[in-house]
Amino acid sequence: MGNYIGKSVKRREDARFLKGAGKYTDDIKLPKMTQAAFARSPYAHAKIVSIDTSGAEKAEGVVAVYTANDACGQYGVPCGWQVNFKNGETMREPVHPLLAKDKIRHLGEAVAVIIAESLELARDAAELVEVEYEELPAVTDPKKAMAQGAPIVHDEWPDNAAFDWCIGNDRAEVEAALEAAHHVTELEFNNQRLAPNAIEPRSYIADYDVNGDKWTLYSSTQNPHLIRLLLCAFVLGIPEHKVRVVSYDVGGGFGSKIYHYTEEALLTWASREIGRPVKWTADRSEAFLTDAHGRDHAVKSKMGFDKEGKIVAHLTDEYCALGAYLSTFAPAIPTYLHGTLFQGVYATPLIHLNVTAPFTHTVPVDAYRGAGRPEATYLLERMLSKAAMEMNMDQAEIRFKNFIPPFDGIEQPGYQTQVALQYDSGNYEGTLKRGLEMLGYEDFRKEQQAARKNGKLLGVGISTYIEGCGIAPSAVVGALGARAGLYEVGHVRVQPTGKISVFTGTHSHGQGHETVFAQFVADKLGIDMDDVEIVHGDTEQVAFGMGTYGFRSLSVGGTAIIKSID
Amino acid sequence: MNVTLKVNGESFTHEIEPRMSLSQYLREVLDLTGTHIGCDTSGCGACTVTVDGDAVKSCTILAVQADGCEITTIEGMANGTQMHPIQAAFKEHHGLQCGFCTPGMVMTAADILKNNSNPTEKEIRDGLKGNFCRCTGYHNIVKSIQHAAEHIKG
Repeated sequence: MGNYIGKSVKRREDARFLKGAGKYTDDIKLPKMTQAAFARSPYAHAKIVSIDTSGAEKAEGVVAVYTANDACGQYGVPCGWQVNFKNGETMREPVHPLLAKDKIRHLGEAVAVIIAESLELARDAAELVEVEYEELPAVTDPKKAMAQGAPIVHDEWPDNAAFDWCIGNDRAEVEAALEAAHHVTELEFNNQRLAPNAIEPRSYIADYDVNGDKWTLYSSTQNPHLIRLLLCAFVLGIPEHKVRVVSYDVGGGFGSKIYHYTEEALLTWASREIGRPVKWTADRSEAFLTDAHGRDHAVKSKMGFDKEGKIVAHLTDEYCALGAYLSTFAPAIPTYLHGTLFQGVYATPLIHLNVTAPFTHTVPVDAYRGAGRPEATYLLERMLSKAAMEMNMDQAEIRFKNFIPPFDGIEQPGYQTQVALQYDSGNYEGTLKRGLEMLGYEDFRKEQQAARKNGKLLGVGISTYIEGCGIAPSAVVGALGARAGLYEVGHVRVQPTGKISVFTGTHSHGQGHETVFAQFVADKLGIDMDDVEIVHGDTEQVAFGMGTYGFRSLSVGGTAIIKSID
Repeated sequence: MNVTLKVNGESFTHEIEPRMSLSQYLREVLDLTGTHIGCDTSGCGACTVTVDGDAVKSCTILAVQADGCEITTIEGMANGTQMHPIQAAFKEHHGLQCGFCTPGMVMTAADILKNNSNPTEKEIRDGLKGNFCRCTGYHNIVKSIQHAAEHIKG
């Protein structure tokens, strides 16, 4: 054990945050910087009949107004994950335009960008953009989107399906086991769509350097290198070496700042057009309307049990909405990050999950806090809790009955789940036993009964959780449909004075990398933590990286740093 | 319109648009970017400053309304490199993660402790009702303010 790992070390980044000296994107001001505002649709689904920007163009302080009729209209932002239909048909992938051209497909979709000398003038002018819409019926419910006669999101795919997918055992086998089960618990519910709402709204500054023919994009992103890759190679066709993406301090992400957003590409394009830097910071309404949402699963589930309360089979059908366009990781969330958790910590012998993923008239739906995995756990635990009540069993007992027996991965091999993953080791009953001991479970139940007699309600909830963390390595995610490797870069440079600079492709937006990474680097090298600097959030300083999400910073990024030291 | 006010002990006079919020004035005119704008509608509290000693959400008053007032922002809390006891307590008790809500939390804490040097946990939580932390670190924020109160009392 070194001097730092396992010790309570105070965070090194806190001083600047506490003094108001953090450097969030909206805090940055550049010479000659302009401000952007957007004209956005008040409808979820509408035909754009006409757009008149003449009033906005003439307004005070306006530098430029662009619509999809300008050159930016030919570009769209890509999706980074491909999940094909069960029958082999390729995933349907609509163009996600930087500005809507003929049709609006979600509330808040942008039709024009207005660039002016100040934020106030840009917003004033945005109000002068006149758009004639023909409102159309919209569908936002994932199940209704797949019903006959539902409003169509993309005309080329009248059934609204982006893909369908399944995982686990043969459906017929699972159905037969349910048929023969002693007891079947059924549950139908919606895991509702939500807006992520990081406290710092998304913010970007695109700065084109006309002399160097280069750009700097300041972005409140969780993964600057991926943004550069998508922006350059897939949207604007700019060689990557000409774009530097800088992401200094970021005020929380929770997934919503992983993705490449239309505004990033549009501002980058516009900055060259006007030859000046341009900033846009979402207001809170725009954050609700345009940050990728999370969840939105309509779930129908059946779990069969034998007489003892052991699970014999689990069958779930879900409709998982993707919104109007495919966001960067969207197809992976209700599939590989969801279905692979259906084993949970239980020895369920037969599992089948079927997912239908429709387009809907909402903002794109992508990863949010845990992303697909909490949805799976919520379902499993709801099912077990309901089954225990129906079968008059204790909530702990039904879980003990169904736990995968302890396996250490050495004496006993890893546990092969029915849903692709192999667990390396686990002792689930030991963990729950310890938790119940800490609570004094049996006494608590007695106390609860006594309290209820006196008209007082006391409760205890039991939930287990296992999660696939640290998304990597590249070969595995590639096989599952990722269109980029999920490797990570850790580069440790010994400066001439013996001080250490560590360059990591992961990104801290509240996680405390500047402290944690320095802790183990200092211990590995046997030096003082103050002699270790952590550099992140700058594509020019850090060779490459895939950012921070899915609990990968320490497990993937940290491992890369350690390998670099070794 | 002209506005004259004192911010962190320094006097300023500026000709500004009447519609400019105090938060915009602090950030854009004075470059005091420690005051953050999270919602611009007085919901989140990230922009909290003190105006004549009282905590105010600076996104919801106009700069011209603060004419003649004394303002303290997060930048005015530390004494050089010496952090204010509230700031020191937040660092000691891990009262922040991403740091974006933090200036508002510290300024609100100052208001809570100004009016009540020995607040209960409930009083602290009540006092923080107008401040959001989306990293969900409320527990440690409350703990930080409790410790700051003890420290200030000495």
